[in-house]
Amino acid sequence: MKIWLAILALVAPAAAFAAGGNVSLSSDVFVERVKPGPDGKPAVVREAPGVVTPGDKLVFELGYRNSGAQPATGFALTDPIPESVTFAGSESPGATFSVDGGKSWGPLASLKVRAADGTARPATRADVTHIRWSFAQAIPAGASGKVSFRGVVK
Amino acid sequence: MRYQAWSAKSSAFAKNALLAAVSAASAGVATPARAAGTAAGTNITNVATATYDFPNGTPASVESNAVTLKVDELLDVTVVWRDPADVATAPGLAGQVLGFTVTNGGNGPEAYRLGTVANGGGDDFDPAVTGIYLDSNGNGAYDAGADAAYVAGSNDPQLAPDQSIAVFVLSTIPADAADGSRGKVDLTAISVTGSGTPGASFAGQGEGGGNAVVGATGASAQDDGWYAVRKASLAFVKSASVADPFGGTTQGPGAIITYTLTATVSGTGSLGNVTVADPVPAGTTYEAGSLSLDSAPLTDAGDGDAGRFTGTGISVALGSVAAGSTRTVKFKVKID
Repeated sequence: MKIWLAILALVAPAAAFAAGGNVSLSSDVFVERVKPGPDGKPAVVREAPGVVTPGDKLVFELGYRNSGAQPATGFALTDPIPESVTFAGSESPGATFSVDGGKSWGPLASLKVRAADGTARPATRADVTHIRWSFAQAIPAGASGKVSFRGVVK
Repeated sequence: MRYQAWSAKSSAFAKNALLAAVSAASAGVATPARAAGTAAGTNITNVATATYDFPNGTPASVESNAVTLKVDELLDVTVVWRDPADVATAPGLAGQVLGFTVTNGGNGPEAYRLGTVANGGGDDFDPAVTGIYLDSNGNGAYDAGADAAYVAGSNDPQLAPDQSIAVFVLSTIPADAADGSRGKVDLTAISVTGSGTPGASFAGQGEGGGNAVVGATGASAQDDGWYAVRKASLAFVKSASVADPFGGTTQGPGAIITYTLTATVSGTGSLGNVTVADPVPAGTTYEAGSLSLDSAPLTDAGDGDAGRFTGTGISVALGSVAAGSTRTVKFKVKID
């Protein structure tokens, strides 16, 4: 027993260090509101919201940066859609989706939702629970980038 | 395989990875669809997770900062007239009931100020509103004495998000309202917190101390309920034909007189509780079994059918007779 505890004690800090990594991730949320622009015409502006109301259109922006000296391979970025938000599409290519809480993944068109009566129907944006970008290429040292998706407050 | 379920680490109330995985998984299944949207005061938190490999193959993961948004209270209300068709009424009647449904379309509990407009135009007469009543016993129908009279500012109905209440407007119909004319009453419900242009905000007045924001309905709604006057009138015609025992029409002892009583209802709507009664004339005797309604014989006894011989005359209960219909009662007497 004592040996096991000792091993765990050694492993745990190492894992924590690895989890810290040298890729950093940032999350920003903007709300798109229509307001009069400088020319007086309505224009869509992005604001950093403190508060939102149902129906507000949100843009989730995820930034990543490899601040290490080595490339990061097998990079996968996952964002669960918050419970009170309906997914409304993504302009960043290459995303895969889950409609079952992250258990299975695929292009949205390939996913199905099973109803209580056992019938399946094609999944829609409103069914999306998670979005993920899996990068085929390594992120070079020092590189950074952004992906984004949209949602609507339920 | 490195894509573990715990990457599902975003939930408003996530405290640790395990809890988050559980709540996020159940969220996809159990969240009920609500017209009013996310409850006021709810926090929306977003956290992204990335996994990747170090050059030596060691898997690593990193979490983003958490961004939290608070959901403000949205003020929305709808009013819908709930009667299936124009409420039939008649000139001069009091206590004529219109039903409405007031629904909180917002995402927080809210009270509503009610009011009526009866002279808004676009109709034939102005009902005189005598009261607004709340469906206190929740049965969807107006119950005099059981449903509370509404007093503005005193018992403004307080509704949870998506909750509805039935509201009844009682009116008196003008005595001079013409047959077939229609009159409307408009019921208005306005959010007590405030109303106005969609997007207008009332700082600090939302549920949970946030702002209250006027929704698409302007936090004010109204609908028209309609009365229609159905004035039916009864015309009553009596005729007689005589048949003497010799094949002629001479009125003398032994001759049979057949009386035909025609009730015609005209106008619109119907007349209730119409009864045709006629005494047997002096000097004649009722011919037993001669009573008929629309050519169908009726028994003389006071039994299941509509008519009877009372001993001094005949009586036929026609019940409700719709406008445009005619009922014909016949009976015979013999001249003594």
